[in-house]
Amino acid sequence: MVREIGGSNFVQEVINSETATVVDFWAPWCGPCRMLGPVIDEVAEEVGEKANFFKINVDENQAIAQKYRISSIPCVMVFKDGEVVETMVGFRPKQDIQTILSRHL
Amino acid sequence: MSDRYDIAVIGSGPAGLEAAINAKIRNKNIIIFGNKDFSAKLVKAPKINNYLGFYNVTGKELKKHFEEHIKKMEIEITEERIDAIYAMGDYFALMVNQKTYEAKSIILATGMQYGKPIKGEEEFLGKGVGYCATCDAPLYKGKIVTIIGYNKEAEEEANYVSELASTLYYIPMYKGEYKLNENITVINDNPVEIVGDDRVNKLVMKNQTIETDGVFVLKDSISPSQLVPGLEMENEHIKVDRKMQTNIKNCYAAGDCTGKPYQYIKAAGEGQVAVLNAVENLS
Repeated sequence: MVREIGGSNFVQEVINSETATVVDFWAPWCGPCRMLGPVIDEVAEEVGEKANFFKINVDENQAIAQKYRISSIPCVMVFKDGEVVETMVGFRPKQDIQTILSRHL
Repeated sequence: MSDRYDIAVIGSGPAGLEAAINAKIRNKNIIIFGNKDFSAKLVKAPKINNYLGFYNVTGKELKKHFEEHIKKMEIEITEERIDAIYAMGDYFALMVNQKTYEAKSIILATGMQYGKPIKGEEEFLGKGVGYCATCDAPLYKGKIVTIIGYNKEAEEEANYVSELASTLYYIPMYKGEYKLNENITVINDNPVEIVGDDRVNKLVMKNQTIETDGVFVLKDSISPSQLVPGLEMENEHIKVDRKMQTNIKNCYAAGDCTGKPYQYIKAAGEGQVAVLNAVENLS
């Protein structure tokens, strides 16, 4: 399942997580983001417990977007032990995301 | 929600048309995107002697034959420009402005018209370089943005972004009147290279260099890998196998966009191979 998070619980849910975490940076006005959403949902479903999935609305969480220097959305980042281990910019087909994730799970 | 086509063909040159007629013969529900001229290259060709069955024809004559052929088969070309194609898993979403088409499989027959990227463009993609200014504009609030515009539509995007950016430079790559907001600075110069460290910080042009946080390149035709995110390329061509299958399932490519030689009959042959495999996979 993909959960919506914001600035207040980012550190706890992403940085301090012991499980690999996938974060989808998106915004409601971004067309490709809306297409990627259901794809990420499907990937999350298939990956199950091995990783946590979150989405962050960059409009409402500009500080985080700036901290991670998000300059294009959609942008999906994979976090492990508090560090960014993978950045995917733009829409990606499910297969690509699965391949990239499998390197970290 | 629109109907879901069996096959969507993108491009109306020889590869796309051949794909379309074969799909029709196999009784598939198809849509073909392109334009009335079919192909700018075709109508410009002065003489063609290497298209079997048609000795000594002009491009315009050959185009006429193509036209009669598809008309007899009741194929109509949808004159719309696809902005992006998303592989959603079991179908493709084709975006045209505010509209969406859906197809189970797609055949890319887009030819080779797109220009070469600017030096640094690909390297900094997603790190300050973008192709959709309206998508990413809010991320550049209060920052310096440069738009390299290849067409009139780019002006609208520039006006929108200028409401958010601290400074907006507009570099027109065409001649004409520009309908731009007053706070936009127009620079008439040729971009040479996008430079930066881990992010874009400068745009080098022939006569000057400007500091910028972001560069948006807004072109008429975009490269296949931008059109279909995730599509694997080999140099400037789409990577295909003997079945004209790309790295994305149910996505095929045919014609000049798959590589040399750039010839009509090669394109048509590839279009046929691509569509017959697409048909086979549909059943």
